[in-house]
Amino acid sequence: MNRRSRQAAAALLTVIVAVALSACGSSSSSSSSSSASSASSSTSTPSSSTSAKSVTLLMGTAPQSLDPGMDYTTQGAEPNWVTYTGLTTYRHANGAAGTQLIPGLATALPVISDGGKTYTVTLRKGLVFSNGKPVLASDFAYTVERSIKIPWGGSGQFITPVIVGGTAFSTGKAKTISGITTDNATGKIVIHLTAPYGPFDNVLAFPALGIIPAGTPFHNLPNSPPPGVGPYMTTNIVPNASFSSVINPEWSKMDIPGIPAGHVDVNVKISSNVSSNALSVLNNTADFFDWADTIPGSLLPQIHSQAADRFSQVNLGGSTYYIFLNVTKKPFSSQLAREAVVTGLNQDAMNRLGAGTLAPACYFLPPAVPGHPTGACPYGTPGTGNLAKAKALVQQSGMAGQPVTVWSETRSPRQQWMTYYTSFLNSIGFKATQKVIADATYFTTIGDLKLHPQTGFADWNQDFPNPVDFYGVLLDGKAILPTDNENFGETNDPYINSQVTALGATPTTQLSTVVSKWQALDQYVAKKAYVAVFGYQTFPKFTSNRINYGAIVFHSVYGWDFTSFQTK
Amino acid sequence: MATTSGTGTEFSGDLSAGFNAEGEDLAPGTGPWALAWRRLRRNKVALFFGGVFVVIVVLCLLAPVYAHDVAHTTASAEDITGTVKVGGKNVDIVSLTGIPIGPTWHSRYFLGADSNGRDTAVRLLYGGRNSLQIGVMATLITMVLALILGVVAGYFRGLADGFITRGLDVIWAFPALLLGITLGTVIAVGGIGPLKGSSLIVPAVIIGFVYIPYVAKPLRGQVLQLREREFIDAARQQGLTHTRIMFSEILPNVASTIIVFIPLILANAILLEAGLSYLGVGVEPPNPSWGNMISDGLTTIPEAFHNVLVPGIMLVLAVMSVNIFGDGLRDALDPRAKVRITR
Repeated sequence: MNRRSRQAAAALLTVIVAVALSACGSSSSSSSSSSASSASSSTSTPSSSTSAKSVTLLMGTAPQSLDPGMDYTTQGAEPNWVTYTGLTTYRHANGAAGTQLIPGLATALPVISDGGKTYTVTLRKGLVFSNGKPVLASDFAYTVERSIKIPWGGSGQFITPVIVGGTAFSTGKAKTISGITTDNATGKIVIHLTAPYGPFDNVLAFPALGIIPAGTPFHNLPNSPPPGVGPYMTTNIVPNASFSSVINPEWSKMDIPGIPAGHVDVNVKISSNVSSNALSVLNNTADFFDWADTIPGSLLPQIHSQAADRFSQVNLGGSTYYIFLNVTKKPFSSQLAREAVVTGLNQDAMNRLGAGTLAPACYFLPPAVPGHPTGACPYGTPGTGNLAKAKALVQQSGMAGQPVTVWSETRSPRQQWMTYYTSFLNSIGFKATQKVIADATYFTTIGDLKLHPQTGFADWNQDFPNPVDFYGVLLDGKAILPTDNENFGETNDPYINSQVTALGATPTTQLSTVVSKWQALDQYVAKKAYVAVFGYQTFPKFTSNRINYGAIVFHSVYGWDFTSFQTK
Repeated sequence: MATTSGTGTEFSGDLSAGFNAEGEDLAPGTGPWALAWRRLRRNKVALFFGGVFVVIVVLCLLAPVYAHDVAHTTASAEDITGTVKVGGKNVDIVSLTGIPIGPTWHSRYFLGADSNGRDTAVRLLYGGRNSLQIGVMATLITMVLALILGVVAGYFRGLADGFITRGLDVIWAFPALLLGITLGTVIAVGGIGPLKGSSLIVPAVIIGFVYIPYVAKPLRGQVLQLREREFIDAARQQGLTHTRIMFSEILPNVASTIIVFIPLILANAILLEAGLSYLGVGVEPPNPSWGNMISDGLTTIPEAFHNVLVPGIMLVLAVMSVNIFGDGLRDALDPRAKVRITR
């Protein structure tokens, strides 16, 4: 779900198509695998795909995979969230309420013991997969093993090193994960962690850990994903073209509190032409514009005038756009030089370049993440920026005339943002040039520590609403890696490091006890100008006129909530 | 005289025959160059497009004058939140939803603005300057290196020929655009030796390098034929050194071929530069080029179509005019020749 996921999706689509083609060309291989994946067959029966009531959702980018053990994209999480329920999940509600963890397939939220290193849950009774087979506690252990073996994109960060025995299982030194014990008779599941990890409650809510049947092959099944336990199930998959999320008839029998059943089937069509998608929704020939796509600025006036009652740009509050500033290299080793950037940056201009989709920002943690400060910004209210003061700060810093290379992606509006930023740096006294890298290789390139990139574009979409997801990866000194580094600014501040370690151990369910400390840390980062935050992304909530717009839940973690879709 | 072919390029090696191929009534003492000039003057279409190209070049060279004295801005000066007066009203240069203003037909934003609020007309002229500079530098690099390699390979044959020809084959094995993208990406990230940064030299060297085989291989073929001719034997028997033979005997005989190749390589170099810049591995922003202007403009179609249309038209005009003039030049120098670069 973070930024790399969407890029990876594009590359992996090719692989998916290739796999699909090879499957078409070899009937023997597909039939031989069907026995191994008998559990999965029920999800891909075309006859079950349609119902009297269905809506159409247009997606600009295909999910990486519809197999939750593989997918790590916002597009995949939309259907998978309501198809593969985890032991924990999120409330189906708008705004901050949607970030609240609730028990999913577990009877209650995990009981945390042993200083935060042991999580104990009990599986609900009477759970069945969408194919009617009963769910066992041991299926959870199998699900975790499968996500490690495939491997799921987040496993290397959130699962393998976190659960005792995860690394040994991953490397083939163990046949099972020693840190997970299950009891099918009682439904009890005990998970031992290598060290206290506060967001583990959130990790259990990932669709990738939504329980699937034991015996599901340890490889990606994009065209026949395994059955899950959730309000919906996935059918009619045409790779790179369409799929359907249809109501799971087994779900309503289970009556799990807090997770509503769906009202309509959702037919998803994938079309990379987002202009055409937006026009289709505007003209009511399709029902939903995917929330993760951007409506072209050229269509916004028309949409505002013709569909004001069914369109809005919503700040889901889980995504930050920022400029990283490398504190190990001149000129941004100087705090005054960094302050100059934060002080002078014209967020109004950057918002226009982003077709008006940015919410003004100065704090690293976005609004929906606990720990987001509410106080005034340390270097003035975000807006047009104070160019004169920025110039003065550059002079004071003694860094005037320093060469700066600004790194950027090619895609719009990110390149335009960095073009503006380059021009801005030159206007305040630096000697800046822009370096544009292809989208597919951008983050890998600047994530190579040997490059020591000075400054450039970065963003982060929350994996889950916990500040550790931002600080632990992007600003903690321990997160500086030789390759695939995400701490691009090479920030290694002892105060940040110690706070992340101390606060990061607090379980998500107890975050309220340390929110003020996270807020103080975020204010400290803003004051030190370690990053230049220039906006929180807003997302389009846009439907046709046959949809009950007011009833829709626009979830702060997963966007569209299929269970809230209703026609008028 | 036999023609060499099979590598995508065909040309006549016997230029002296070509000069009189149409059986023109020549005044005694009329040299081949005078004859070629006479033929070129008769080709009005070629001359017209040669003139068009000259106009484009002059306009692009005047970019700083236009920017300073007419538009009062620079190629990279942005004004995203500013306004400009059109028809007595203040209009946003870039709207709140990111749509840039279209042509005002006034001195400021004559051809409109791009999405970063920069003057399209100014960037068009500066972009043309950059595209032409790169095209000329690349052509120079290609011609000089191809001439050296082609003549040395063809003249010495043997080991030198084998080594050079295989090297050229390796370069030729890659499509020009693909090789350009690869080199451009590598240089954009880490550089190769002294080639790094956002200098125009970088795309010029890449493009110049990519096209070397397209000129060197036909030249080698022509030199292979020339070295067997009697006048070369005579030069050898007179005791002339290899260097002297290459300079005084071979070079003059391949001069017209080189001249014919220049506009063709120039046109292809401009096109390749546009392609590379469009894909983000040519001219580095915020430096303009017609290629990256088209790429930038795609994001604001259809409301600001001018940002794609204007550089596109200029690119077509420039390449077409060089190509047509090059054809005329070829016809004038060697009416029987068929010189084409195919990829």
